[in-house]
Amino acid sequence: MISIAGVHKCFQSGEQTVAALKGVGLAVQKGEFFVLLGPSGSGKTTLMRCVAGLEKPDAGRIDLDGETVFSADPRLYLPPEERQIGMVFQSYAIWPHMTVAENIGLVLTHGLSKIPKNQVKERIRHTLNLVQLDGFETRPARLLSGGQQQRVALARALATKPKLLLMDEPLSNLDARLREEVRTKIKRLASDLGITVLYVTHDQVEAMVLADRIAVMALGEILQVGNPYELYCRPANSLVAEFFGSINWLRGKVVEKNRVETEIGIFVVESPLPRSGGVVVGIRPEDVKVDGASASGENCFDGGLVSATFLGDQMVFEVQINDKLLTAKAMPDGAKPGGKVSVHFPMSKIVVFPEGGTGFIY
Amino acid sequence: MRGRWLLVGVSAGALLPVIGLLLVVFWMGFWQSGPGEPVAYTLDHYRAIVTDAFTYRTMLNTLGFASTSVVISLLFAVPTAWLVERTDLPGKKWVFTLMAVSTLVPTFFTAMGWVFLLHPRIGVINRLFVDWFGLAEGPFNIATIVGMGWVEGLGLSSLAFIMVVATYRTMDPALEEAARVHGLKMWETLRHITLPLTFPGILAAAIYIFTIGLSAFEVPAIIGLSNKIFTFSTFIFYKIQPLEELPNYGVAGAVSALLIVLALLLSWWYFRILRYSSRYAVVTGKGYRPKLVELAPRARLLAWVFLGMFFLMAKVLPFLLLVWAALLNYFQPPSWAALSQVSLKNFYGLPWELLLAGTRNTILVMIMVPTLAIVLCLAISWVILRSGLKWRLAFDAAAFLPHAVPNLILAIAAVFAALFLLGNTVPLYGTLTIVIVVYTISRISFATRIINNSLAQIHPELEEAAFAGGLKMLQVMRKILIPLLKPALVYAWLWMALLCYRELTMASVLVTNQNNITLPMIVWGLWLGGRLNQAAAANIVILAFMLPAVLLYLTFGRRSRFEEAL
Repeated sequence: MISIAGVHKCFQSGEQTVAALKGVGLAVQKGEFFVLLGPSGSGKTTLMRCVAGLEKPDAGRIDLDGETVFSADPRLYLPPEERQIGMVFQSYAIWPHMTVAENIGLVLTHGLSKIPKNQVKERIRHTLNLVQLDGFETRPARLLSGGQQQRVALARALATKPKLLLMDEPLSNLDARLREEVRTKIKRLASDLGITVLYVTHDQVEAMVLADRIAVMALGEILQVGNPYELYCRPANSLVAEFFGSINWLRGKVVEKNRVETEIGIFVVESPLPRSGGVVVGIRPEDVKVDGASASGENCFDGGLVSATFLGDQMVFEVQINDKLLTAKAMPDGAKPGGKVSVHFPMSKIVVFPEGGTGFIY
Repeated sequence: MRGRWLLVGVSAGALLPVIGLLLVVFWMGFWQSGPGEPVAYTLDHYRAIVTDAFTYRTMLNTLGFASTSVVISLLFAVPTAWLVERTDLPGKKWVFTLMAVSTLVPTFFTAMGWVFLLHPRIGVINRLFVDWFGLAEGPFNIATIVGMGWVEGLGLSSLAFIMVVATYRTMDPALEEAARVHGLKMWETLRHITLPLTFPGILAAAIYIFTIGLSAFEVPAIIGLSNKIFTFSTFIFYKIQPLEELPNYGVAGAVSALLIVLALLLSWWYFRILRYSSRYAVVTGKGYRPKLVELAPRARLLAWVFLGMFFLMAKVLPFLLLVWAALLNYFQPPSWAALSQVSLKNFYGLPWELLLAGTRNTILVMIMVPTLAIVLCLAISWVILRSGLKWRLAFDAAAFLPHAVPNLILAIAAVFAALFLLGNTVPLYGTLTIVIVVYTISRISFATRIINNSLAQIHPELEEAAFAGGLKMLQVMRKILIPLLKPALVYAWLWMALLCYRELTMASVLVTNQNNITLPMIVWGLWLGGRLNQAAAANIVILAFMLPAVLLYLTFGRRSRFEEAL
């Protein structure tokens, strides 16, 4: 449905040039819910605006539904109004001088797929019904609440029945409770309509709830593409690992094919190791096992318990091994170990990356 | 505690004269007295202006003049603002700088230039038409309402530009992008989204310009007065400085009172529209810049031709004509024959002694007025924003009055008060002091607004921390507030100094002799005396004097502060 290849984009900011996209390639399938995830400044919004035609890449090629909408060579650029897409903006961009019906109607009567005048009213009613705003037709847009504006923006984007829907952080201006509610509704609506969605967010939970597949972006590049499970359990580099939930990092160096000497001792790992040099070893807190008994076996270490915090659905431990503080999480079972503990790092859960890899944050 | 009351006292001391002058205007309208006669009160002046057909003609003139200047200024300002804010036109930064400098060029200067261009008899363009097409007389006449509105409109278009640009800037560009993405073409987006959304802002600019046009003095005085075409401001001026009869302060007061009421109503409407338009203003949290409209090479060329024509007509042509006129004994269109007569005689013949006195006075005014205004308005702003006084809203309203009341009327009221109220007890009439006092009063609104905007951004806890640390009010002012406000104060000081330099409107009433003459008044005197070429030469000299001050302003003043001051 969307095919992006080698897209570059630079911005002139005063004297200096900032590269927002550095050769991005991507393929989104028909009917897929695809999320672009990344911190601010990662280039995810720029990429979406390139797809919409609001930004012109400096190089590369973009195809939508088999039609080339941009190519640097031969020079081709289809303006946004000819790309037949729907888009929800972060600020919603609801036209404040119009009513709800006028906001949707303008798109229906002037958009590319113009529909006959006598059907406009019915289509507006139908679209408002989709987003559960029945009867809001005559409401002036500026009197809508944030949540309602968000739904009108969605209705406006869906009114022309586009094959592709772009959403730029559509939930970031809603309060937390509403965000969860709308999230589920968007997910259901997209799968009911069978529409392809390209969705930009910086919130990894949102991405995991919504996405069929996620592309993690940083500094104008795509770090990894995959479904939420793959990204969480098999991150391609430390940045992706860091972006999905918290993780314990240990510095180390490879001593044998599958052995790493770290700050707290020797680790035996599954993943294929780089031949030599410094590495970082990562393990998520929920995979770290804390036990009252004394340590024995591979990847088991003696440590001291610094704190144990009960959070209702989980216990959070802080353990100290050789001056190194690590976090562990477990289901609460009423027991509250104290003093000396043994800490176990299951081999299958350990990830290892070369040190100084992509933007590693220690 | 003493320091706080001192600040309140200083503000009250600054604002009471404002209210006083306003009362004097209304009082003037009922006042009747001849030389040596006892003072009496009468409704005759109001009766006179209501029954006189001349009043209505003047009113029509004024409305026509102000409307023309609105149309002309927006005609240039709106497309320019759109080009600068929404397209990828190269060299946009220069447009901003040129517009900022343009607002500083004295209006009397361009008005004289346009007389040389379009005077029915001597105007260069008219002469060209006569010579080329064998017409009996030139087709254009600058000495008409439309002609004067054209010159005023050109002069005000840079101000209009700055206001309209602000409207474009506060509009969320995503509103336009949403239209494009969902299939609307560029012109459909302009029609359905951009124009309706920017309309309130443009309307507000129109009202603002109209209010200025209503009481504008320089253009009607330079072009209209000698041709007996009056607007309200020149009519009032003529009543107190007539050529034949005795000054008639009563009628001037009655007309002024009407004009003040009109101006206050317009100001009220302006703020209403402004509030209405700010409902649409969205501050986007997002750092991205809107996609700029890419101009095709031909459109780009067209845009540059348009901008070039504007600057040519607004500033360059009038300037060239003044230089040409300054070099000639009597004015004639450029030709080989005329070129041989070019000389610097006009410059030698200038009243240099007077110019020297004028320079001394002007420099004194340029230093005293901004300094006084800043000191007073610091106190006023503090009272309005920080004192928590019950009466602070009254201070706010009073500080706004000098903006709404036409400056010419302020000056007339001051002269009247100096002549008939203070008389010999406080001899102010014809002194430089009255010039400084009235100029300062007229700048109170501007300075208060600038300082208010900056002070509002300074968290009160910064002062409270100083008070808690044991500093007294005036120490807090000196050690905390003034250093924090410094950029705004420097900007305001420079801007006011430049406005003082070019001020002619108030000077035309306040300056009565060689002791308090200012530079623009020398030009004005030469012009009224019919020595047009010498006036042109004096203008060039004055502009040359102004250049260092403008450079200073461009170095230290910031463009964005313009918008705050409106």
